[in-house]
Amino acid sequence: MSGFVRRRLLWGSLLLAATLAVISAYARWAGATTREAYLSGWVLFGLMVLLTGYNWFKKIPYLPMGRSEVWLQFHIYAGLFTGVLFLLHVRGRWPTGWFEIVLTVLYVLVMVSGVLGILISRGWPKRLSARGGEVPFERIPIVRRQLREQAEALALNSVAEARSATIAEFHARRLHAFFAGPQNFLSHVFEIRLPLNALLNELGDLNRFLNEQERKVTAQLVTLVRQKDGLDYQHALQLTLRLWLFIHIPVTYSLMLCALAHIVLVYGFSAGVR
Amino acid sequence: MDTAHFVIDKPERWDSSFDSDMTEADVNRLLEIRPFSEMNSGKFSKRTPLRGILKNDARIRRFKNGEIIVRAGDYGSSAFLVLAGNARVVLDPGLPVSLLGQRKSQHKSLFQIVAQLWTNPRDPEVRTPAELEQDTGVKVGGEFKGVFLQDVPRILDEHLTATMSPGDFFGEIAALSRSARTSTIFAVGDATEMLEIRWQGLRDLLRFDDHLRHHIDRIYRERTLATHLREIPIFRRLNDEQLKRVIEQTQFGTYGDYDWSGDYKRLVKEGTRSPEKETIIAQEGDYPNGVVLIRSGFARLSQKFGHGHRTLNYLSAGSQFGLREIAHNWAHKDTVPFQHSLRVIGYTHVIVVPAPVMEEIVLPTVPRDQLPEFFTPAELAGTEQSESQQKLDAGAKIGPELMEFLTENRYFNGTSTMVIDMERCTRCDDCVRACASANEGNPRFLRHGQTTGRIMVANSCMHCADPVCLIGCPTGAIHRGQTGGEVVVNQATCIGCSICSNNCPYEAIRMVEIREEDGAFMVDKDMKPIVKATKCDLCSDQLGGPACERSCPHGALKRMDMNNLDSFAKWLQR
Repeated sequence: MSGFVRRRLLWGSLLLAATLAVISAYARWAGATTREAYLSGWVLFGLMVLLTGYNWFKKIPYLPMGRSEVWLQFHIYAGLFTGVLFLLHVRGRWPTGWFEIVLTVLYVLVMVSGVLGILISRGWPKRLSARGGEVPFERIPIVRRQLREQAEALALNSVAEARSATIAEFHARRLHAFFAGPQNFLSHVFEIRLPLNALLNELGDLNRFLNEQERKVTAQLVTLVRQKDGLDYQHALQLTLRLWLFIHIPVTYSLMLCALAHIVLVYGFSAGVR
Repeated sequence: MDTAHFVIDKPERWDSSFDSDMTEADVNRLLEIRPFSEMNSGKFSKRTPLRGILKNDARIRRFKNGEIIVRAGDYGSSAFLVLAGNARVVLDPGLPVSLLGQRKSQHKSLFQIVAQLWTNPRDPEVRTPAELEQDTGVKVGGEFKGVFLQDVPRILDEHLTATMSPGDFFGEIAALSRSARTSTIFAVGDATEMLEIRWQGLRDLLRFDDHLRHHIDRIYRERTLATHLREIPIFRRLNDEQLKRVIEQTQFGTYGDYDWSGDYKRLVKEGTRSPEKETIIAQEGDYPNGVVLIRSGFARLSQKFGHGHRTLNYLSAGSQFGLREIAHNWAHKDTVPFQHSLRVIGYTHVIVVPAPVMEEIVLPTVPRDQLPEFFTPAELAGTEQSESQQKLDAGAKIGPELMEFLTENRYFNGTSTMVIDMERCTRCDDCVRACASANEGNPRFLRHGQTTGRIMVANSCMHCADPVCLIGCPTGAIHRGQTGGEVVVNQATCIGCSICSNNCPYEAIRMVEIREEDGAFMVDKDMKPIVKATKCDLCSDQLGGPACERSCPHGALKRMDMNNLDSFAKWLQR
């Protein structure tokens, strides 16, 4: 059995055991007390505080608190376990009050962004490696500028050399915007080649109006277009790999603030409840 | 049409002499002193005459009282001859590190670690006065930027020492075998004069002069070889008499280029690295005439594959080659030739125990069950692989492409190489941020480097088994730590000369201009910025090990010992 399967089995078993334990315990509490929502609420909130703490843990790596990899596994499975607690806490019903709806929507956003984040964190590095030509994220604007300048130089020089502005016009019309910044973000994310193929077809169609010398220039432009497309692919995927946390973390803090307010409101309006 | 040619003189051996201040008078003086007075200058080649070696590969150095000449643990590339005055060699136990200008290995306390939350400076490369304060037992400075022991009489009282007088020769073993100095030697009195011969000169002296070669061979056999052979299981059962006979007939060999790191960097820049050009120590198919024991450096173990050679493994200090074949031939009537080739990677120093010595003296002392596995007809026919062969074939475990990649890029040198699994790495840079947090805001590596398949070797200090960065450090500021053997830089004694940075073939050492706590650059009296060498120190002062490895949320980054490819293979298949 590989280490990967063993780890998943271990964490999965722990999650299953915790789920079964909490469901059976909750059934007993529900019969014994009317305040079971308080108990599930506090456990849920405590776990959420622990989960939020992972972000802080990452900021103090010099503290000897074990490997981040293990803490992330805990974060994932404890995060899934909050789903069980949340369902128990709301008794499987969709909330009716606007504040509770906000709270639920925030919780769902945190959960969904977390699950999506883990899915792309596990899958997309393979896509980046398989595509090749990787450029560190910080260097992407520099490489993009170099490609843009090369394309501009080719287009401009072709005017003087071939005494024709066909390529320069095409550059101004189609390529200038393509090289100016990141393009086709969603196409890259969903692995769709349509925009690239369309541009390459247009460049191919242009050849019928070009002489031999100009065709050599378009061949060079095709190479640059492919390189820029690869760069955009790297940009789209690397940006998303970084950006999902910019959704997950702020929404988490919003959820924590709302949860705090929820606790205050619950206790503020709980007079007479036994 | 006229064509302009850029013409340069062909580089010559002595374009850059060891010391341009060496005069003819100095050489004449040396030629009257033993052992040079006993050497036959006629035996030297015209290209490398004795006079030329002394003038260009040697220099006369004068040491002041207490100045350290060589220091235990340092890597040096030169040998010394006492010309005048006296030096003392410190016998076991050696001097404490605080007296040697090295950094004391110590972990931060838990409070100091937590305090990094608010004590890490805002500006990069800030050094506090405490960090730059030299130990009380040592002073850095002087003509050659040397390190001085402060209280020589007390050291002489408290430590066992032996005197070295004019005519005594030392440092040659470390220089030639590229191993660490075993003892510390310091000058006594202000009139100590030494002839320092760099390894190139020493090599030529040994080549052309039997007297010196015999002298060094004898010292090597007496001081080092017996201990070394005793550490190898197959020689452990030899009695003193048998061991003496083995030592007498053992041969030494040095292959490759001592200065391989410089050449390697040049070849990398030119993009002309070629493993085929590596010198062959032993060739597959040849008669096995001796067991090759790797003393220092590295060698590539390969086997014919198609029209080329496939790397099976790389052998480092302590490994042996050819024992299996010789044991088989000793126990059987048939003769099995070498099954693999052994090639030099960079620089390799080997000991060869001839086959007759193995057969007559060594192998009869080894119990049958402890002999290497004999070859079977099926293995020789190539139809099956023995357990020994499988164990040796690291290339099959980690994949042939990765094996060639590690070998060609010399990554086998790393004992803590930073490898990143790019199919797991989300490029989040948590490792870089963790490194910066643990090093006062200064990341000590780049998450960038050579890549093959899914593996990237990042530009970070690998804490090499053969740390070429240590060679030539004038103050010994870069040295091995006392606890884990990690290579560290003592900021107090680093003089910013860049020798380590230039020597490092992996671009893992960075020279930085340091700042005061208020952010201002530190300058010397000429208003030039103070420069220090910086590199990864494996978070040796932190609790819990390297922060980069601990901080990776996806387990994509690992510090690997490249001499343990089994654990690397296990990590790849995790």
